[in-house]
Amino acid sequence: MKNLTTLSIVSLVALISTPTIAEVKFSGFGSIVAGQTLEDDEKLTADFYDVGQYENTTTFKAESVLGLQVSADIAPDLKATGQLLAKGTDEFKPELDWYYLTYNASDNWTLMAGRRNIPMYYYSEFSEVGYAYPWIRPPSNLYWWQVTQFDGFHATYDFSTDDFTNTVTAFYGNEYSTDNKEMLYYAEIGNRTLNGAAITQVNEQWTDIAGFNVNIIGESFDLRMVYFRNDRKRIDTNVNGETAIRASASGFSQQFIGIGGNVNVSDFTIIFDANYVAYDDDVGTVFPTYLISAVYNIDQFQPYVSYSKADHWQTKSDNEDDYEEHYMASAGLRYNLSSKASAKIQFDHFEDEGAGGPEAWAYHGNSQTVSAAVDFIF
Amino acid sequence: MWNNKKPVKTFLLIISTTIFSNLSFADMSVIVHPDNTSTFNPEIIKKIFLGKKDKFTNGQVAIPMNAAESLPSFDAFNDKMIGKSRTQINAYWARLVFTGKADMPKVLPSDSDIISTVSVNQGAISYVDSSSVTDKVKVVANF
Repeated sequence: MKNLTTLSIVSLVALISTPTIAEVKFSGFGSIVAGQTLEDDEKLTADFYDVGQYENTTTFKAESVLGLQVSADIAPDLKATGQLLAKGTDEFKPELDWYYLTYNASDNWTLMAGRRNIPMYYYSEFSEVGYAYPWIRPPSNLYWWQVTQFDGFHATYDFSTDDFTNTVTAFYGNEYSTDNKEMLYYAEIGNRTLNGAAITQVNEQWTDIAGFNVNIIGESFDLRMVYFRNDRKRIDTNVNGETAIRASASGFSQQFIGIGGNVNVSDFTIIFDANYVAYDDDVGTVFPTYLISAVYNIDQFQPYVSYSKADHWQTKSDNEDDYEEHYMASAGLRYNLSSKASAKIQFDHFEDEGAGGPEAWAYHGNSQTVSAAVDFIF
Repeated sequence: MWNNKKPVKTFLLIISTTIFSNLSFADMSVIVHPDNTSTFNPEIIKKIFLGKKDKFTNGQVAIPMNAAESLPSFDAFNDKMIGKSRTQINAYWARLVFTGKADMPKVLPSDSDIISTVSVNQGAISYVDSSSVTDKVKVVANF
């Protein structure tokens, strides 16, 4: 076995270093993050998708992550890229999270095919790259979806006007998430059953994901708009191996609308993102969410504050407003250690305003959390 | 008495202006291949180095190349031509690189490497200390 591994490493190196093979580039990013809540019974979900949580003992596992990207020019105008991600929430087991082809079809058109993040929120496509933004994480009570990636196609058109650089991207794809971590977590904390037996697996399917992004970049601002729609389906499996489609979370479509960006005003950067998700289900479920953050750029320091709010309404029910609702108010400081590494410290106050208490919609609970991070790129 | 001092003041002013202008600009030069006849201005150069423009006005694919961070020209170029600090530049590129939207410019270790690479590559654009410039490259901007 050892010889086989050595052999494959040797052949891999030989392949990469053969001069006839096009250029292969390695790059990467990482965040080492430690944190804890201030009180005994508090819990903060810092990463909803991978269920990365802080409790009252310090942990490095909730959010620490290492990413390695390999890209190779495999033919004229054609590039293959893979991103290997190892997260503390998965015991740092590396997973090939992104793999896609990029084809530069013409001066203005770029086509991509493969597995990438869904471009939902402003930071969705680079939410794991801590070095690229001021906070320890984009506010987790907004980045709460159980599906963040998909297999699909992207067509991007770039064009410049005198003052702006513009990009329009159309995308289409599907995601069949087998054994979804976030949905199983909710099934477990809610003691959810199927035919009287505990649920042990939840499969989440978002199909016919179709939409577009518009980006406008000017001298001192960056604006992004997004729209997409998809069909929803959820399948439960219980401890006896029986399966069933969960009616309350299946058979409807959802639409996602968002506008976000940042504006630089003298030494300040204002970051904002407003989003609206609507289901075409019987009760008219909608999720309005928004984020506003101010960052002060002073030398190598970036003190910041942010506020993010998530709400849940049922517009066709008698009771429209009494469902999930929470906000996160945060303050922190980023200090640039070098041109490739930064240190951050952050305080988060999570206020659960959900209806009916912890047994009903306030199931996240209030919390106060302190976390510290070192983010880097290479 | 009062009038007598004026020429001295003027002289000092001229001297100091000369010294400071030498320190603050025209130290570094943006260079391309001698055959590159494209139009250049600070805005075009900035867009090429931020990955927002991938061709010169002559239609040739532009290949921006950065000086190593250890060279004084790197900070001078980012400060004066791009208007961003090292950290801002790297955060900007981290987003583009790890979402596959653009490739980071290549990095060359010394002025002599930059001159020799640009002199043989029709698409190359980079920057060096003005004292390193030779007739094998063409200067399109000073900063």
